[in-house]
Order: sequence, then C-alpha cells, then structure tokens
Amino acid sequence: MAVKFFGQFLIEQGVVTSEALLNAIDLQDKNNLKLGEMAVTMGLITAADIQRAHNAQMSKDMKLGDLLVEMGFLTLVQLNDVITRQKNTHLYIGEALVQIGALTSDNLQKQLDAFKADQSQYVSDVIELPIASANGKIWEMTADLTYKMVTRVLNLRFRPGKCIIVTSIPHNFMLAAMDFAGDAEARFLLSVSERLQKSIAKAILNEESVDNEPAEILEDTVMEFINVVCGNVAAKASQMGIIMNINPPVTVHPPLGGMPVPEGHKALSFPIHIEDGDTMELILLIKD
Amino acid sequence: MKRVLVVDDSLSVARQLEKIISESGDFTCVGHAKNGAEAIKMNHTENPEIICMDMNMPGMDGLTALRTLSVMDKEVKVVMVTSLGGVGDKFTEALKLGAKNVISKPFEADNVLRILREL
Repeated sequence: MAVKFFGQFLIEQGVVTSEALLNAIDLQDKNNLKLGEMAVTMGLITAADIQRAHNAQMSKDMKLGDLLVEMGFLTLVQLNDVITRQKNTHLYIGEALVQIGALTSDNLQKQLDAFKADQSQYVSDVIELPIASANGKIWEMTADLTYKMVTRVLNLRFRPGKCIIVTSIPHNFMLAAMDFAGDAEARFLLSVSERLQKSIAKAILNEESVDNEPAEILEDTVMEFINVVCGNVAAKASQMGIIMNINPPVTVHPPLGGMPVPEGHKALSFPIHIEDGDTMELILLIKD
Repeated sequence: MKRVLVVDDSLSVARQLEKIISESGDFTCVGHAKNGAEAIKMNHTENPEIICMDMNMPGMDGLTALRTLSVMDKEVKVVMVTSLGGVGDKFTEALKLGAKNVISKPFEADNVLRILREL
C-alpha cells in the first residue's frame, strides 16, 4: 500500500531474505561503478583528478561529470562514453539476486510483473504547474501522490482544483506542515477544516466515531497523514534520482487574516474539493 | 505471548500498532516510547522481545536508536515501521544496522502481524 523499491517488495512478500538482499546489494556496490570510478577504470582520468573535482564541488553546485568536463579532465564525448558504459554494465537488484542464487530467472520475471502491478497505482499523471520550477516534476508528483493518498488512505472522493499561485496562506481550523530538505526543498502544508480533521482521524484510527477523542489525538492523525504522504513522496523522488529528506511533522496556526508567504518563496495551492462540499488545500512553499 | 515495544512519536500510529498487537493473540504490547532515547530506556526496563520503531522522530531518531540497540542488546528483534520504507538508502541502512524488516506506512494489520510472526 506504499511506494516501495523492488528489494523491499521481495522481502515483504517473503520471496527473499534480508540477508540475501544485503548480499545482492553488496554485489551491486562492487559491480556498479560510480561515474568517477568508471572513468578511472576506462583509463580516461586518474584518482587524483577525481579528488580535485570533488574539492572543487565544495564551492560549485555542479554534478561531478559536468565539473570534470569544465576542469578539462574529460571531453564531453568521453563523459557520454562513461555514462553509456555505466548504463550498459549496470546490475539491477533482481539480476544480482539471480546471480547469488536467491532467485531464479523465471521467478524474477514473475515478481517484476507483480511489483509493477503493485506500484502502478503510484504512477504519476500529468499535473500542470503555473510556474517554471527546476523541480517541477517533483512538485507535480507530490500533488499527484497526495491525491492518491486522499483516496487510498482517507477513502475520500474528491475533485482536484486548478493549481494556482497564492500570496498568503489562509487561516483554517488546522494546518499540518512538513519540511523537505535535500535536492528539492519545500514546506508541505495541508490545510483542513474541523470536519475534515475528523474524517482524517476516523480513517487513520480506523474508528467509526472520533467524537470523544482528545484534540491532541485528532491533530496527530492529520500530522500522521502528511507524514505518510511525504515519506512516500521521498520514496518516489529517490526512484527519480532526487534525494529528499523529511523532518517530523508540526502544526501551524495562521492568524485569522492569514499568513504571508515568506520572502524568497513561492506558494502553490492545490485545492482538493471533497465530495461532501468541503475543501482541503495542499500548499507547497517552494524556495525561489 | 511475545512482548512488543512500540516506538513512534505519533500517538495515532502508536495506538494503531498497540491495537493490532494486543488483538493478535500472539503478542502483548509492553509500552510506547516516543523517541529513540525513550526506546533504549524502555528496552532496559520492559525487556521486550520485539521492538516496532519509527525512523523519523524528533530527538533521537529510529536509526540512531537502532545503532545503539544493536550494540547493547543482541537479543531484541527490531522492525522499523516508517513512511520512509520506500527510500532505498534508508531501507538498506536499517537492514545493515540489524533491523529484521521494514514495514512501510501506510500499513495493514495483516502485513504487520505476518512480519512479526516470521521473526
């Protein structure tokens, strides 16, 4: 019921043991050379060249390959050759499990089909953002995954509204927030009414009624919902090659007049119109 | 019945897990710690056989606590329960530190119990 990677799926299904998976990951680590290691293996550069490029990376926000070209250690053609060799020799986790004898080739194909079916529910649809952003695909995926979790975790029927840029964060009964750090930085905010907070609490606690629950528990269920969403966003992002770390969720209480968007940020609002007429709002505060 | 300690900063997740564990008939919940430091203390006082622990908690996080527990107590079996289970690096790190399995949130009761029974 969550975004997974293939090795985790195989362990959860009891197809391989955690020990076998770790052995396969070790084999992958030995086989799958990093870009610099591959360039050295191909005799194009030396380990000292890589060290110099790594040192330069401290002050320059560039990928190693681009930096090696800029510093004259590799030509663009050589860089492309290295990347092609990396791709052609890449050992996938399934292949590694077959190589160590933990999985047969026939079973690998069967499990890959089952994995694709399990994860197909998390494949992103296209969502249009009103701004150009370097991590636009990540924010589109974040909204899409939020919609999917509203359906699958909260069991709420809804219609997504058009994404718009907002200049302030409106007051609501409750806002839960989580920060993304790493390759893509943003604050994820979910704004809900009192009624929607109770709907979320019923779904998370799996209870028919939450009328007697303390406010602390009701708030906690909304924070846990966004924790689940953001963790799964981080998982999906890692599959896209983007590292995103998350911090524990917090609650935010904007004043009645709303809260201005912090300087240096853009706020994208994704209204989520619930079937019963209520609306929750996903707001992404993205660093400019 | 096997003794299980739940470690999660979320009150609602702790309640979900405690309910699943106590209604299983095979396990009993011996307590709830809200972060890694509390987990280490309660591992000493409650002597659980299994710990179900979140990764992402304020204060001492789950991986730091797992690292400590794997040195201090070779007997206790730790299962991570986390929304970050699908992040390959985190999953691998947890296994390397000695976690017996990783359960991704949102979880289902059947899946949680199947994994606990396999330990």
